[in-house]
Amino acid sequence: MKRTSVVQTFHAETLIISSVLQIGDSERISARTRALAVQRQYELFFGAEGEQVFPIFTKPIPRWLSPPPITVRQTIHESPVLSVRDVRILAISSSAVVQIGSTSTVEAEARIKHIRELAAPELGA
Amino acid sequence: MNYTVINRDVHVGAIRLVAVTSASLFLIGDADTIHLASAFDTPPESLIIGPFVPLVPARGEQS
Repeated sequence: MKRTSVVQTFHAETLIISSVLQIGDSERISARTRALAVQRQYELFFGAEGEQVFPIFTKPIPRWLSPPPITVRQTIHESPVLSVRDVRILAISSSAVVQIGSTSTVEAEARIKHIRELAAPELGA
Repeated sequence: MNYTVINRDVHVGAIRLVAVTSASLFLIGDADTIHLASAFDTPPESLIIGPFVPLVPARGEQS
């Protein structure tokens, strides 16, 4: 039996790039992001760039394989309420999950490749 | 391992967060299984100083 979450005021400014804001219970949430973050000194666009595969997007991320130890857990909710008066969040981004409520499984993965491009200094400058 | 969880009153006043990002979770509630993974890649060659050319994988990164 899961507890009840109570929030009086919730304020978030930005929810972007495959993120989830779940108010209420859920069974399973999974989010995935692959971002190629290019910062170029001047706004130049060369069409279909970044289509090539960078290893960061395909390299497997290790995962807990060992089965969890056998535990017999008994949960008693003397007070089945989880209350927060006020929540303020500026940004929720890149496969982030914000949930007010209970869930069973949350799975999220974010892979980001950063590239910075600066102009070469002028000769003799 | 046997253990018993007794949940009593949980009252939080205010929570201020600047950002929840890159496969992170902010949960007010219960969960059974949580699996989060985040990877980012900023190798030295990802700082390019020079003429602007279309992006191609650097030498060492051929897939």
